[in-house]
Amino acid sequence: MGFRISVDTGGTFTDIVVMDESGRQTIGKALTTKERIFRGMSEAIEVAARELGLTMKGLLDQTDLLIYGTTRATNAIVTRNVAKTAFLTTMGFPDTLVLKEGGKVNPHDFTQDYPEPYIPRRYTFEIEERMSAEGTASVPFNEAQARSVLEVLKARGFEAVAVCFLWSIANPDHELRMGELINEMLPGVPFTLSHKLVPIVREYRRASATAIDASLKPLMQDHLRGLEADLRATGYRNDILVSTSVGGVMLVDELVDAPIHTAKSGPAMAPVAALTYSTIENLGDNVIVCDTGGTTFDVGLVRDGRLTYSRDTWLGGQWTGHLLGISSVDVRSIGAGGGSIAWIDEGGLMRVGPQSAGADPGPACYGRGGTQPTVSDAACVLGYFDPAFFLGGRMTLDTEAARRAIGTVAERIGRPIEETAWNILNLATELMIKAIQEITIAEGVNPRESTIVAGGGAAGINILPIAQELGCERLVLPKVASALSASGMQFADIVKEETASLVTTSDRFNLEGVNRVLSTLERKLKEFLATLGPRAQAAHRIEFLTEARYLAQVWELETPLEFSRFATEADVEGLVESFHKVHERVFAMRDEGSPVECVNWKARLIVKLAPEVTGEAGPAITALAAPTPSTTRSCYFGGTTPVPTPIYKSGDLKPGYKIVGPAIVEEPTTTLVVFPQTSTTVSGVGNYVFGIG
Amino acid sequence: MDRVQASSAIDPVITAVIANRIDGVVREMTNTLLRAARSAVINSARDFSCAIVTGDNQLLACAEGLPIHIFGVHNQARAMTEFHADLAEGDAFLHNDPYSGNTHPADHCFLVPVFFEGEHLFTAAAKAHQADIGNSIPTTYHAAAKDVYEEGSLIFPAVRIQRNFETVEDVVRMCRSRIRVAGQWYGDFLAGIGAARVAERRLKELCAKYGKDTIKTFMRDWLDYSEQRMIHGIAKLPKAKLVNTGRHDPFEPLLPEGIPLKVELDIDPQAATITVDLRDNIDNIDCGFNESEACTVSSVMAGIFNSLDPEIPRNSGSFRRVKLLMREGAVVGKPRFPHSCSVATTNVADRLVNCTGAAFAQLGDGYGLAEGGVGMGVAFSVVSGKDHRYGDSPYVNQLIIANNGGPASARADGWLTYGLPVVGGLMYRDSVEIDELKHPMEFKHMRLIPGSGGAGRFRGAPGCDIAFGPKEHPVTVIYPCDGQHFAPKGVRGGADGTCAEGWHVSANGLETKLPNVTQIEVKKGELIRGLDASGAGYGDPLKRDPRRVLHDVLEKWETVTRAQAVYGVVFKGSLDDETLAVDVTATTSLRAARAAEATTA
Repeated sequence: MGFRISVDTGGTFTDIVVMDESGRQTIGKALTTKERIFRGMSEAIEVAARELGLTMKGLLDQTDLLIYGTTRATNAIVTRNVAKTAFLTTMGFPDTLVLKEGGKVNPHDFTQDYPEPYIPRRYTFEIEERMSAEGTASVPFNEAQARSVLEVLKARGFEAVAVCFLWSIANPDHELRMGELINEMLPGVPFTLSHKLVPIVREYRRASATAIDASLKPLMQDHLRGLEADLRATGYRNDILVSTSVGGVMLVDELVDAPIHTAKSGPAMAPVAALTYSTIENLGDNVIVCDTGGTTFDVGLVRDGRLTYSRDTWLGGQWTGHLLGISSVDVRSIGAGGGSIAWIDEGGLMRVGPQSAGADPGPACYGRGGTQPTVSDAACVLGYFDPAFFLGGRMTLDTEAARRAIGTVAERIGRPIEETAWNILNLATELMIKAIQEITIAEGVNPRESTIVAGGGAAGINILPIAQELGCERLVLPKVASALSASGMQFADIVKEETASLVTTSDRFNLEGVNRVLSTLERKLKEFLATLGPRAQAAHRIEFLTEARYLAQVWELETPLEFSRFATEADVEGLVESFHKVHERVFAMRDEGSPVECVNWKARLIVKLAPEVTGEAGPAITALAAPTPSTTRSCYFGGTTPVPTPIYKSGDLKPGYKIVGPAIVEEPTTTLVVFPQTSTTVSGVGNYVFGIG
Repeated sequence: MDRVQASSAIDPVITAVIANRIDGVVREMTNTLLRAARSAVINSARDFSCAIVTGDNQLLACAEGLPIHIFGVHNQARAMTEFHADLAEGDAFLHNDPYSGNTHPADHCFLVPVFFEGEHLFTAAAKAHQADIGNSIPTTYHAAAKDVYEEGSLIFPAVRIQRNFETVEDVVRMCRSRIRVAGQWYGDFLAGIGAARVAERRLKELCAKYGKDTIKTFMRDWLDYSEQRMIHGIAKLPKAKLVNTGRHDPFEPLLPEGIPLKVELDIDPQAATITVDLRDNIDNIDCGFNESEACTVSSVMAGIFNSLDPEIPRNSGSFRRVKLLMREGAVVGKPRFPHSCSVATTNVADRLVNCTGAAFAQLGDGYGLAEGGVGMGVAFSVVSGKDHRYGDSPYVNQLIIANNGGPASARADGWLTYGLPVVGGLMYRDSVEIDELKHPMEFKHMRLIPGSGGAGRFRGAPGCDIAFGPKEHPVTVIYPCDGQHFAPKGVRGGADGTCAEGWHVSANGLETKLPNVTQIEVKKGELIRGLDASGAGYGDPLKRDPRRVLHDVLEKWETVTRAQAVYGVVFKGSLDDETLAVDVTATTSLRAARAAEATTA
């Protein structure tokens, strides 16, 4: 086996990680080139190749697998820069995408217009048909009327079509016939049928997913095919896979068919990386992953070695944006990061964010004209950054500008600048703690029993106090923290899900029907598996799950099945018990008397690609005393007097070294603050591991 | 640079930190209740609110609580402390008595006193609308109830439901003997207590971390801070005395003229106070439309908050700057026993929110807002019957699938999924598929009505046209609709919204108009059809940005005819080939001519 290359194309930077056979990872970074992704990507590959003493061609020649992740789809959705898409819906129900599911952030805020639907109302067309909840045709499909609508679509030059009929999940005949007509009358125009893409009950969710998917098709097909062609032009002959929203990787062909699965392409990989590093460091398989960027703080979870999933992923803000509708890795984002702006409100309270200085002009300390006091400026004032050697020397910082910016806040609350900076950092930390608590609470996870894995360029500034406050005793900052998602792709499996809706309750369980559904799901996955070749056959497993709830609840919980078919009533009881356990974990109560209602059935194929990671036998924590630091600097840790603080460059450190705070470690792409009364150890593979408490 | 008045008094950092934590606790309660509850009215529609009250019974935090639920929770906590001298850790109470602080009997409020180091520091409150409460008819909104006896609900004036963390099964048995679909109620009961207990746990952790003294200082500071925000908000308003009136629809035969309302506001920016006088209103009426004190206050506060900076925290601190003058025995004010407050959270309350918020528009351009869509009509009805799919088992639930267009403000068009003035868009709407899965019924159509939003410089949001019918057995449909006679009113030259309506549609398609308060059995093959009310407009429609009018026409919010007739905007090009554009010259002259007409008229 040769190299594996993973690529994470973000809005600003393209991160690449090259892993060799021994598992050593090399990072390459370059600015993202939006007009042609391959340019920035090849630049980043060249950076890494140089570090390995290779040319890009030489590196690609020895590469077995390339994995690609991108924010292309997300950006297209949020900016609505997508194909001209028609939405075909059941006659009488044109406003599903407009009305959504209700909900609003502030009941007293009348300053905002109601958000535009994902597909304009003028691109919505009603088709005469109606299925009932039981799957019978209340109104038969009117083929003549459907054809006349398609004529209009043709005349008006629609580039994609989304079809979502009520209860198509109970009986897909009408949607299927609509698909045939589109093929016949609009040959070559891509379309998506809701029951195929996301067969779940609740028309808005299904319609939203369908609309998003169809609208992405022309664009993502061009994008992925173009990238593939560019890579092939370099002479690269081996596999190309794309990372997906379920935290796995998938063939380009599959994603060309259902591009919505690339919507969380990058962020979904952070939990995969987190699980890997926690495992390598022998820190268990319950993990909280935190990714701190310039404007957002993303949190995800791994529970008992499993990624956590959600169907409640909104792009562009809860309620005001668009619901992804598909099951995707649950990564939640808040507007808090290095660029978040501190301010004092009318009542005299200190606030941080949600406004951000963004990448441009960025924090005041970047010296690009920013004057607003940001979290990064606070860190700069506290002495945590080397102004002359920020980001490995790629940038110099303007400390005076940072002090001036923080000074505006300090003056308003009548406190010294350093104390104010410390407070700003603490308040940002609080917001991040709340974001972590919200997701751990929603999933019934106890942070005290979890390991935090931190990533993102700005993570090292305050991840330690975050972990302390949550009572997490274990924390890892991987050496590749600044390219966490790209690194995660190196360890991702091929993951494919098939879902079907069949509503049944435990007290009158439709055993045969459910088994039929499970067989169908399994068959579909097996057919796909057969296309992957014999190596995949040997390394696959299929998990079965149901989305269930107590009768009359409406929000389902994902419950794993411990078997692939229901043999007897005893298996139904087994499922009921599994559900009670899940419910108790999440809501701290179980209702023994209530029947359990299963709504959706899911099968998940997992094909292992990367070698199994195992715990490293790292050196003992006290093996090596602190080395001599490169230098010292005055830093502030809450008091008004500076503390002389040792500064370590990554070159100063070797596995086994223990660094006792206060200290600062400067890696080329991230800075790690070791606060007083804490310490960190460099692990056997070069990660920073903290024992807290 | 602004002088920060409160900075000398409060710690700007620790107050922010603990406030953030408290907010997190309320959100956790909300999440628990939303996801664990059984009835659609809670878990689909989100008709519930969570709050934290201080040990001395002041409302501290309510996160995303519904406007109508917010005020009064602390009065319920006060009732709890007054009725129970032996208050102890491990207690929980059920309160739904509109005469000692609750909104209306259908809102079951679960109260858990939180003790730390032996002291009662907080009360955690989770209030949720129940699907059924044992009324004499299968609805939680009994419009016709002459008094509380006819209403028939079980009343719990802060009744102990847990002692030592153990449930008092007597109460559960009482409820099971009187409440329809008792299993559903019990699931919600568990979820409600669960939410309050979650808060208890978190608040104790918070106290352990910061210490009792810091927490007590925080409570004082946070309320002072909130008051400070309110002072800033009121100080920006012009000094004025405002009078506004409104009217709830007739209720035959009792109230042929409807229910008139009058709100008098005295805004004093120097003193930073708003005095609201509601005493000049009619006496209590012999039906379910009376306001409880909690609903009266919440509605007035909602109207005021709608007209101020939306960031001002809603708690006893900000409420200090509002003085409310109420009369006992008035339809809005303090009810006199045994008048029924069965429908207190919506109808008259909605009108009161509208009336108060719209009053602020009298202050001048840029202030206040228009009236929002009102009425719990067909798309908000309570449906009940037997489900043929499950061995004819009974069902009862409220549909929450209406949108009722939101009001225009001085800065934005109306919010489409506004719901009602008392919820301000917070509630979720049902899914058609979920409603059809849970009830043996099918929807015929559900579509927004073009051109129905009240015109204005900013326009109200349109309403929806909806119809449904049963699949097998008849369905009983009950709703106490308002807004069928008196439309939501526009302000500062903005047009009124449209009225709600309802019809019974026979098997052969014959439509018969229904009264605004309806109880009807709809048989298989028949339909019930209704229109939501729309929101009213703000400002002169002739001053609406022509680009907004164009967008409205392209997106079918408005019609080409109305664009010209009402907004004075002339188009060129065609809608069908997507070339429609504003004819600027023609529009300018048409608008000028219209303005001249208006002046001469």
